[in-house]
Amino acid sequence: MTGIAKRFGSVLVLDGVDLEVFTGEVHVLAGENGAGKSTLVKILAGVHTDFEGTLEIDGRPVRPDSPLAANALGVAMIYQELSLVPSMRVADNIFLGRSPTSRAGLIDDRAQRAEARRLLEPLGIEVDVDRLVEQLPIGTRQLIEIAKALSYRAKVIVMDEPTSALSAPEVERLFGLIARLKAQGRGIVYITHRMEEIDAIADRITVLRDGRFVGSAPAAELPTPRLVEWMVGREVAQQFPRHEARPGAERLRVEEFVVTGGARSARPLVDRVGFSVRAGEILGIGGLQGSGASAMLMGLAGAYGDRARGRVWLDGRPVCIRRPRDAIDRGMAMLTNDRKATGLVLSMSVVANATLADLRRLAPGGWRRPRREREATSRLSEALHLRAASLEMEVGELSGGNQQKVALAKWLQTDPRILLLDEPTRGVDVGAKREIYQLMNEWTLRGIAIILITSEMPELLAMSDRILVLHRGRAIAELSRGQATAQRVLEAAMGKQVVV
Amino acid sequence: MHAFRPLSLSVLGAVLVVLPSGCYKPGDAPTPGSRGERAASASSDAGPGETAGRTCTIGMSQCNLNEPWRVQMDADIRAAAEKHPNLKVIFKDAQNDTLKQRAHVEEYVGAKVDLILISPKEAAPLTEPVAKAVDAGIPVIVLDRAVQGDKYTCFIGADNVKIGKAAGRWIARQLGGRGKVVELKGLMTSTPGQDRHAGFRDAIGGTAIEVIFEADMKWLEPNARKEMESALARFDKIDAVYAHNDPGAHGAYLAAQAAGREKEMLFVGIDALPQEGVAYVKRGILSASFEYPTGGAEAIDAALKILAGEEVPKKIVLGSRVFTQENVGRGGEALE
Amino acid sequence: MNRSGLFVGLVTMVVGFTLAVVSRFGGVPVLLLDAVAWLAGFAGLAHDRASAYPYVLLAWYVATVVGVFIVLRACQNLDARRNRGVRLLAHPASRALIALLLVLLLGVLFDADGAFYKVQTHRDGLRQASVFGILACGMTLVIITGGIDLAVGSVLALAAVAFARMSIHWSWSPWLAVPLCLALGAACGGVSGTLAARFKVQPFIATLAMMVFARGLAKTVSGGMKVSTAVQNADGTYRYVEVPDVFRAIDSRLLADNVSMVTVVFLVCAALSWIALARHRWGRELYAIGGNEEAARLSGVLVDRAKVLAYAAAGLLAAVAGICQAAQEQQGDPEAGGGYELSAIAIVVIGGTNLMGGRGGIGLTLIGTLTIGYLEKILSINAVPESRRLMLTGIIIVAAVLTQRRSRT
Repeated sequence: MTGIAKRFGSVLVLDGVDLEVFTGEVHVLAGENGAGKSTLVKILAGVHTDFEGTLEIDGRPVRPDSPLAANALGVAMIYQELSLVPSMRVADNIFLGRSPTSRAGLIDDRAQRAEARRLLEPLGIEVDVDRLVEQLPIGTRQLIEIAKALSYRAKVIVMDEPTSALSAPEVERLFGLIARLKAQGRGIVYITHRMEEIDAIADRITVLRDGRFVGSAPAAELPTPRLVEWMVGREVAQQFPRHEARPGAERLRVEEFVVTGGARSARPLVDRVGFSVRAGEILGIGGLQGSGASAMLMGLAGAYGDRARGRVWLDGRPVCIRRPRDAIDRGMAMLTNDRKATGLVLSMSVVANATLADLRRLAPGGWRRPRREREATSRLSEALHLRAASLEMEVGELSGGNQQKVALAKWLQTDPRILLLDEPTRGVDVGAKREIYQLMNEWTLRGIAIILITSEMPELLAMSDRILVLHRGRAIAELSRGQATAQRVLEAAMGKQVVV
Repeated sequence: MHAFRPLSLSVLGAVLVVLPSGCYKPGDAPTPGSRGERAASASSDAGPGETAGRTCTIGMSQCNLNEPWRVQMDADIRAAAEKHPNLKVIFKDAQNDTLKQRAHVEEYVGAKVDLILISPKEAAPLTEPVAKAVDAGIPVIVLDRAVQGDKYTCFIGADNVKIGKAAGRWIARQLGGRGKVVELKGLMTSTPGQDRHAGFRDAIGGTAIEVIFEADMKWLEPNARKEMESALARFDKIDAVYAHNDPGAHGAYLAAQAAGREKEMLFVGIDALPQEGVAYVKRGILSASFEYPTGGAEAIDAALKILAGEEVPKKIVLGSRVFTQENVGRGGEALE
Repeated sequence: MNRSGLFVGLVTMVVGFTLAVVSRFGGVPVLLLDAVAWLAGFAGLAHDRASAYPYVLLAWYVATVVGVFIVLRACQNLDARRNRGVRLLAHPASRALIALLLVLLLGVLFDADGAFYKVQTHRDGLRQASVFGILACGMTLVIITGGIDLAVGSVLALAAVAFARMSIHWSWSPWLAVPLCLALGAACGGVSGTLAARFKVQPFIATLAMMVFARGLAKTVSGGMKVSTAVQNADGTYRYVEVPDVFRAIDSRLLADNVSMVTVVFLVCAALSWIALARHRWGRELYAIGGNEEAARLSGVLVDRAKVLAYAAAGLLAAVAGICQAAQEQQGDPEAGGGYELSAIAIVVIGGTNLMGGRGGIGLTLIGTLTIGYLEKILSINAVPESRRLMLTGIIIVAAVLTQRRSRT
């Protein structure tokens, strides 16, 4: 791709970007959020048809006018926002639109299922191809998405943050798969924020910043500090600026907390977990997929209603939280791990989203004051370094990182005393991540207690004052900052009792 | 309250059919002479004698109870039947669904009622069930809308074409043979609408009466008002409004009244229900209303005669009356 | 008047053709057809015999509409670079206004011997549309939450019948009758809303059930007949009472006979609905629920309560419409409002509010009401036969919805 430029409306999103991918290489595309990575690969995949510049595949200039055309040219894309149909079965999803048919033109179900199983096998997951996608956890869905893309027998495979919901062993499996694809001579464009992934698999790296091409080099020539420097354009002295915690009084205490699985499973999602968090402290929750960490936070915040039971004390007083409203009123705010599905209303404006949880205070007596709302939002968006063309624009049009900031703004607006953060930096670029870490520091200085769930080990280790590790719904280990190492955390997360 | 037709009475009086009927005690085998007397005495009061033994059950199927006219028909039937304690009438409402009405007939046959009254929604789909009922030995009286063929016992209805003609002639006479008329039509997919339209146009055919605006108001008053407003906006001179039913005429009146032009024109409607059309004429809202009789009382009469074993004419055409402001006090005038 | 319509169409067509050529949209056959139809119309008008050939005028009008479509699609394909005009066109209110303007153009072309320009035509057309507009306001509230309310027509009838009974037969004061009827409507809506929100019955089904139930209740209250000024005595005869003052008041006119009271009621209802949606916390909650119900719930919005209130508001507005309907008919008809719910939905959709929820507003509904109202009036003054009216209305609805499509970027 040479000299690619693209506008959305009046905003120039890409400006003279080059990208060259050779056969049998993993080419990592790195950059902050809003740098234009997703847009660039969407041009390649035929999603955006209106752009300047040239696109050549195998030396031939092409201009795919639809994703299907791009598939035909040998480009397959795995999206960050999954493109599966939840209400259909796995096998149907993989072959959506191109199911193998019998002579009569009917879908050959058996052939389809066999083929689907064949595709899923190398990924190493046990999935019943007859199950409905909506019944599967998000990590498994991502693997199915990968299987789907692989079925296109593409020459170039684009992966946009494919591991965001995968657990460590699944990521390993994926890397093995990528190695195999490399050996087959395919080219892989891999978008990620995670340093350890870049270290693990990148052959070459291209960095974008604010829509412009910064540089492209073999991975060996780009050690982490230099790479980060390219991405943010400034010296990054310290990535994780967590300072000494000075925890205060006990803010939250939880005992015998249970979240039942509801109709879906007999096993409880959270099985008699107990812990406490003090003001100004960050408690990290470690665990792999299925550990029940998210369910625990959701249950604490009242999202599960009666399915969550246990003894909970806030600031020493026992509380009974049955619905989200109760939690918010008592100063507990929860950021969910899926901002599009459960965090934001994409059709509403930034202001509307940012004020949604605090309407009662911003609109006493029912009548809203638009000016007050705008002021509050603008203060918060400054504090969070939110980059949006206007506060009235639809949240759906913002980049992932900025969307996350809007969600954070919404919860900060409620003046929480305890913040439950579930993957706060997912889909967020390095610069913004750093900002969020700084903010977490400030919040703890103000006395806010934070519970942090993150699947990025370095983040977990660096930002947590204490780490609670869950495995299949039970609390396996509690490690202090000094005791916590990646190995210990991972072992505990996988079920092994940790010896400290 | 509808008076008996002299014609039908004399026909009944002249019939001498011997048919033992279940309504009478077995010992009451009529002799030719006494029946003639009985028939004669029957014609002078409300029906063939109260010498009932067991109760006779009549099944009535009404195609819908949305139209007030049909509610009136059921009410007329009920009122007429109440005068005869030996009659029991079951009322069913088909809610304008032909299939439901078929089911009604079949249910009545299954329940072995003594007689069926039916006011059908449509002719074709109900012809066969009615024929089957007659074959099963149950007499069927068809009201207002006919079925096809002749497998039924008696048809009682009024003639919409005749009424439309009468309305047209009346308007022509009132306007001296020339003028501008607005026609507000009922559902033109139904026979009453088509007949009332055809009759009217036929009557004004040779005159200098001109229909300057016509619209389909679907028997509904708000629609009539809306269409009349359009007519008023478009034409400065309107001499008469002919609506296919009284609610339509009333709606047109309201529209004209709101425009301050109600005195300029005649308003003519059809149906003449006592609390509706006749009342409007009395209050000076309508200039004339043409009665579309329900035939409810006549139906009970015919039913009683049939049950008594007498023969009734195949087709009883109900006469109509016209109510105008000058004759409404004496109960209107019959039409020829 | 025909000349100015001609001019507008001419400009539209030229611009449309140019943009179509520039943006490679439309295809040659469409453009050719367009051009032919337009020329035919032009020829007819130029000879000033258009009134003798209404089909020619109609063809010309259709060509103009197609031209407008081409312009809109061309603008979609253009990125709204430095072009504020194109950005303006993308706003849903603009699209709704374009639909309205096209309908008004139709009125200019087919003005029924000048009847279209008389004040009374506009006044009466607005009067006729107002009842539907009131229903559409309530429907907007419900549709924004992502639901639907099929019961509004039946609740209208129930309120009309109840109001007529109370005012005419029992001679109750309007200060008592009106609030009671409004409460009745709100209660019906509240039941639908509770079924939909609390018991998780699909809104379509819940309100369908209420539609049938309310209709039956209306027929029961009225005894199956219209509740009119003819009151039946015990012995079967009738006595006649005067039409109550409140009826005359509602069916009256203001501002030197130029505006119907019913229109004023509609505008008040629209204003109140707008204030609730735009300025009240509850309104914001409705948008959030329609946009992403789970996110709203997790943000502390009491979803059930907000939804029940929305349906209750729709029921209350349906009752207002019923009272207006009764006053205009001077009777309470249990068959009133049949099919009105579909008209209300059509108005909301033509205005541009999305049926999926989360977007839209009362302003759009207002424009939609005017569009449908004028269309009906134009068809009425031209005495268009019923069958053709139905076909035309169907086509217009589809066309209006197509202009609402959001541009792809």
